Amino acid sequence: MVEIKRYSPVSFKASPKRTEIRDNFTVVLEYEGEGQQPFDPSNSKDNYIVDLSHITRFDVQSSNLDDITPFGIKIPQGLCESYLQDSVLINRMNRVQASIFCLPVKKDESSKECQFDFQCSCDSDCKCDPKKSSAYTETTEVGMCMAIFGKNTFSITEKLTSLDFLDPVKKTPFLYQGPMSHIPCQIITLSRDGAKSGIIFTASRGYGKDMTHAIMDAGAEFGLKPAGEDRFKSWAGSL
Amino acid sequence: MSLTITCPVCGKRDGYEFRFGGEDKGPRPEEDSLTPQTWCEYVHLNKSVAGVQKEWWVHKDGCGSWFTIYRNTVMNVEVQESEACR
Repeated sequence: MVEIKRYSPVSFKASPKRTEIRDNFTVVLEYEGEGQQPFDPSNSKDNYIVDLSHITRFDVQSSNLDDITPFGIKIPQGLCESYLQDSVLINRMNRVQASIFCLPVKKDESSKECQFDFQCSCDSDCKCDPKKSSAYTETTEVGMCMAIFGKNTFSITEKLTSLDFLDPVKKTPFLYQGPMSHIPCQIITLSRDGAKSGIIFTASRGYGKDMTHAIMDAGAEFGLKPAGEDRFKSWAGSL
Repeated sequence: MSLTITCPVCGKRDGYEFRFGGEDKGPRPEEDSLTPQTWCEYVHLNKSVAGVQKEWWVHKDGCGSWFTIYRNTVMNVEVQESEACR
């Protein structure tokens, strides 16, 4: 039997302290020097960047997205709205497409098992079959995914993009499809609440190395440092 | 940031996120009566209006949508957003 190995397109200039193999990825749980304490939003001045390229991601397409409930969760109706429930983040990209992220949220829970529930909201005698009219594409391998969180998240993003993450009209979580470091990205703002502030973003896999370089450079003055998945879990769990 | 464009999916954005897709020339000419001359004119000739014209744009750095807007070519401002926004 051949063992496959999957590689994240993102790497940091830091030494992993604890790792584990998950879905053939080597996942860094903690880096050297990132600190012993779990993320505490009431007491944190630090800003972190976490590589989440290993988390399972999907795109779903259907002419009738309202009839589909991936993981039992309804897809948001408004364009560019997002919805986070348990460990599943769903983002409405346009009229016929949504992206799904299976986040590692709880300390003892890895990425959620992939299971799709299809429920139709029509009457029982309707003839539509969401199973036949929808298509899921796994996008884990084609992209990179990172999270930035901490008090200065939006000071860092301000140096990288002209998108307005603090637009008061938008309610978190929400999706931006736009450029960051001149790279087309999907950026989901999960929180704008002081030290809890944070975003998750994805872009094409090939940009991983250069985007990491640009973000670390922009975040240097704010003490941005790489963190492992455990720190992301404690941040996401605090939302 | 001089030009802003209203994407029907993402809303008002910096014009640099978009790529120009040419003047809106209406539907393709009918195949039945199509002559090389008519096709050449449809493909290559532009009106290049000095004023408000309907144009195609694509949100290349965002959602990837193709849509039309009305732009004042003299002022380089969007005067009327996409019909898809309404």
